[in-house]
Amino acid sequence: MILCATRGGEESTTTQNVATQLAKERGETLALLYVADSSFLDKSASVLLVDVEKELSKMGEFLMTMAAEKAERAGVKTKTVVRCGVLRELLPQIAHELGATTIVLGKPAGDRSRFNQHEMDHFVEQISSATGAEVILAG
Amino acid sequence: MNPGLALPAWQLGLPSFPSLNAPETGALGIAALISTFIFILVFIAISFQLLHETAAAMLGAAAMLLLTYIGGTGNADLAIITFDEAMAAVDWNVIFLIMGMMSFMAILAETNVFRWLAIRLYQASRGNIWTLIISLLLLTGITSALLNDVTVILLLVPLSIQLALALGIHPYTLVIPEVLISNIGGAATLIGNPPSTIVGSHIGISFVEYLANMLPIVIACTLAVLVVVWFLYREELKQQANSGSTTLLEKLRLDSEIQNRETLLKAIAIGLLILIGFVLADQFSNMPPGVVAFSGAALLIALVRPDMSRMIREVDWTTLLFFIGLFIVVGGMETTGAIQWLATRIAVIAGQNADRAALLTTWVSAIASAIVANIPFTVAALPVADYLTQTISGASGSGIIYWGLVLGADLGGNATILGSAPNIVAIGLLAQAGYRLSFKRFARDGIIVTLITLALASIWLLVRY
Repeated sequence: MILCATRGGEESTTTQNVATQLAKERGETLALLYVADSSFLDKSASVLLVDVEKELSKMGEFLMTMAAEKAERAGVKTKTVVRCGVLRELLPQIAHELGATTIVLGKPAGDRSRFNQHEMDHFVEQISSATGAEVILAG
Repeated sequence: MNPGLALPAWQLGLPSFPSLNAPETGALGIAALISTFIFILVFIAISFQLLHETAAAMLGAAAMLLLTYIGGTGNADLAIITFDEAMAAVDWNVIFLIMGMMSFMAILAETNVFRWLAIRLYQASRGNIWTLIISLLLLTGITSALLNDVTVILLLVPLSIQLALALGIHPYTLVIPEVLISNIGGAATLIGNPPSTIVGSHIGISFVEYLANMLPIVIACTLAVLVVVWFLYREELKQQANSGSTTLLEKLRLDSEIQNRETLLKAIAIGLLILIGFVLADQFSNMPPGVVAFSGAALLIALVRPDMSRMIREVDWTTLLFFIGLFIVVGGMETTGAIQWLATRIAVIAGQNADRAALLTTWVSAIASAIVANIPFTVAALPVADYLTQTISGASGSGIIYWGLVLGADLGGNATILGSAPNIVAIGLLAQAGYRLSFKRFARDGIIVTLITLALASIWLLVRY
């Protein structure tokens, strides 16, 4: 099982393509993971009456359906997973659950990324040692 | 005095400055300097998200109160604001209005009605992308005028991102105009967004009076935005040739069913009653809008009977504490005379010309709102607007300076990502879908729209008042 943590959207195209190609070459199922993270609202006192995680999860399901459609057109069998929380906390647990042998993540996108390269390297080491899976940075 | 029965201070020409500790001119006292320093710290913490907005406002209020009681015991010069003065500084009408509308919105949001409406608009557009964009923008504008704008954005933007992707267009094409229209639509009514609520409540104006003053300019600004959107996106949308993914559109349709019809019908009925209440409120001893919204919410809760502990969790108490803290912090600046000191200097720049003062207020508010958070700015600017209104001849009869403040704070919020809460929330939602909207990209559309709408607002102020 190849696990690809992605958000969808233009920034994830390369990551999804690499994961799809890898799954095709190895004949493995591609699991597309979206984590609905509402922490961007943590410092706001705006009126938040909506179940934000529910709305983000719906959007995540949609984005993963899009990504799965694309991968299936390339002949890859897919599975989509949508969870609420923080990616760095959830990823090891989900990788265990799915029995992922390879994890594909996007490289930090410079200043606009939530991770810098140093944090990303540390995160990759953590994930690798916690799951025993091969971690590939795409992009 | 019962504030609900009182005429607005600006209509009566009553002085609203406590001006306890500082003279109108001359040097500021130590308490005024400290209160200003605390306000600036709170303002920076909120504007640059160094601390949760509520925590920043509460800390500021607590600092002023503690300094008054602990520091003021040994040295009276350190007294900033007493507990009684702090309670008097809080605009409870605003708190009740927000609380009432939040409870109403929490129940309405669960029915999925916004998603249902947006998908019906897509179906009604029959594949015409411009019909879809215009109808979605109008839906955003109207709902932002009647309901909390951040909630509207939280409900509509994720759906718009999905709709755009299903149709093969870039999500920015729908989301950026939606945010711009939401900030403009919020200016149309007393309940549309926080600056409107704060100013409207402060001057004690009725829902209908407020609407009569703001609706024409909001409609003009909305039309201007539609033209700008057409101009900015026409080439991009020409390239959108496909009719969209049927699988994805079907998924959206399936997710858009109304969740609880009975609750929705009750919410619509109560919503209409609340609106009628707002319209008729001034027939009943100038009933404050907060009373109408709070009573409507209480009735809806009694009818729908939601799980009360869940309901209490869903009402966003942090927002209410944020406003209470902020009113106290600004109240501290008022009681120490810091705001009066500032107001007298602004009055000198404005001269004795109401038009010039109104335009100055509008553009300064807009620039400030584009750079820093518009809610604390509006609360702090109100006493200044009071002073200008009371001292400049021709300003008190029309309330032109207050309208300049509302328009500046609301329209200026469109210029940058930081300008208003809906902007920040929409950027976060886009990032969650893998689209990181840059400051520059937002400003490309935002600044054009801000300049055009502010120019329209300036003309409106000069012609109408």
